Amino acid sequence: MNIEREDIHIVVRHSNLTEERIAHALQEKVYNDQTAWYKFLRLLFISLGVGFSVAGIVFFFAYNWGNLNKFTKIGLMESLLIVTTILVLLPKMNSTIRNVILSGASFLVGVLFAVFGQIYQTGANAYDFFLAWTIFVTLWVLVSDFAPLWLLYLVLINITIILYSEQVAYWSAIFVYTVLFVINAIVAISPVFFPAKKIPSWFVNIVTLGAITCATIGISHIIFDKFRPTSLVLILLTALTYALGIWHGLKTKSGFYLSVVLFSLIIISSVFLVEKLGKYDETLFGVLSLFIITSVTFTIKFIISTQKK
Amino acid sequence: MKTHDINELLDYFQDENKSFSFDENAIAEAYQDDNKNQSLAVKVISSFGGILASLAFFGFILVSGIYDSGLGMSVLGGILIIGSVAINKAGNSTLLDTASVSFFLAGFLLFGMGISTLHTNEENLICGSFIIISLCTLMLAPSYIFSFFSVLILNGSILTLIISNEHYNSVHIYVSLLAFVVTYLFLHEAKIITTHKTLAKLYKPVKIGLIFSFLAGLTILGTKAFPLSPNYIWVSSVVNIALIAYLVFQFSKILNIQETKAKIGVCIFTVLILSPTALSPAISGALLVLLLSFYANYKTGFVLGIITFIYFVSQYYYDLKFTLLTKSAMLFATGVLFIALYLFTAKKLTSNEKI
Repeated sequence: MNIEREDIHIVVRHSNLTEERIAHALQEKVYNDQTAWYKFLRLLFISLGVGFSVAGIVFFFAYNWGNLNKFTKIGLMESLLIVTTILVLLPKMNSTIRNVILSGASFLVGVLFAVFGQIYQTGANAYDFFLAWTIFVTLWVLVSDFAPLWLLYLVLINITIILYSEQVAYWSAIFVYTVLFVINAIVAISPVFFPAKKIPSWFVNIVTLGAITCATIGISHIIFDKFRPTSLVLILLTALTYALGIWHGLKTKSGFYLSVVLFSLIIISSVFLVEKLGKYDETLFGVLSLFIITSVTFTIKFIISTQKK
Repeated sequence: MKTHDINELLDYFQDENKSFSFDENAIAEAYQDDNKNQSLAVKVISSFGGILASLAFFGFILVSGIYDSGLGMSVLGGILIIGSVAINKAGNSTLLDTASVSFFLAGFLLFGMGISTLHTNEENLICGSFIIISLCTLMLAPSYIFSFFSVLILNGSILTLIISNEHYNSVHIYVSLLAFVVTYLFLHEAKIITTHKTLAKLYKPVKIGLIFSFLAGLTILGTKAFPLSPNYIWVSSVVNIALIAYLVFQFSKILNIQETKAKIGVCIFTVLILSPTALSPAISGALLVLLLSFYANYKTGFVLGIITFIYFVSQYYYDLKFTLLTKSAMLFATGVLFIALYLFTAKKLTSNEKI
């Protein structure tokens, strides 16, 4: 059976088990075994290797060596990219290692465009730099289907949108948060449509947290802003997504979905209270603290009761 | 957990142990008790909720006019702390947990502010009393969240004491001690939880609280905000690296390295690889947390270890006083070293896997 640390801790408190027996149980049931260590060490070494090498390359080009002409610079980058891509195509390679190398190569694409920007003075934070980076790693992201690479991809998309709105479009904050929320929420919900795929939960959780943060900040903006019909879009979409999140949380008994959605609602309601009560006096702080305490208490009670069933 | 699961669990321990006796009702009850069986999500939400509510409550007390009386504030703060711990010990129900935690934290805020208006040398007095109060709270072994915050307050007060008295180099002693304690906690889980019921209850909140404090101490060592003498910066590194070497020696058994010669070789190699980080103890400290958490399969610590490790390594290279070209060469050489290490060990690390 599946014995977890918590189970051992509970049995210890109500029995006469000896230290040796508990140590044995922990080793056998909880602690990582040889296979896990081997896997961990392999991943650790290759990630450190690729990570440091890519960082070294980034620093090399950031140094902006005057003696190196632009042809050599771009040529160097391109040949590095070709070498890494060929490495990935080598047949006898573990797929995780292949993906780690491909992730390193995806960073190199960013460096390539940065070098390009350096030579032709397009600026390091121009949105088109991130747009180009995003577009040209798309294929690798799709081919490798590697969660860390997907996360990089999503971060790139988010940055591109934020920079685009700042530098070109001058969108309102509410609109930016609406767009970001929609994109991240779609990715967060997507596992529902691919039930056969094994998507790591840490990835879904990070994206969910990102989407919910966008919604929370966006709606807080709406509360303090004067009412505009367009704001309804974010409110409706958030309501729909949150309902979906709670439904999913109840179905899978996942404390994560329930707690992030409900906690976001608590924050939004608190912001609403602050706006409605207006003055920063005893009433505001009193009502606020009472509200937070009660709502958090009931949230916890609710989550625990759903997990018990 | 359902009854048949509990029976299965007890069967596992019964197997080879004839003298095993247990209180089945108490175990079943423990599984029913909300407070002893909370998921990470619940812990995080009650921590954040408690902090938010305590701030709102603190604001309420401030605008209500008590701000004028230092004595009034410290007395009220004291009452809040004692009252919340008492409620927590007596009731021990989830319904009161968030409320009592927020009163507990607001109590500390009020107590500290009260003393600071009363006294001239206030920092030492505040920190001293915070240390005593948090130690007393811990000895009463309240709920998870209470113990966790007590550990944080205790360590935060010690750090503040060191910094406000300008004994900056004592931070090394403090961080090194924490490194020892955290390592001990991880390696002797079975011993600690079987020694005493109170220790068993405190084990988890204290462990995560100490990890947070240790990483916070390392962050302070890494920042330039305090005038730490550069002559002693290696002290914490030596402790961290020595502990990592010890771990490597211990874990080599799991890795199927049998010969003592090979074990010592691996240890020396580890020390050599880590020695360039001697001037940045934060890196080896984060690595220590990472290794310990992986060993004990402790996910929260593992994630914290990865995040802080990346952060500290980035900061290390950012702070280095070399040209970008030199940094680039150093980074690239490190990268090549690890790739070589990977290629060198890959065969061994894969071939044994199927056994």
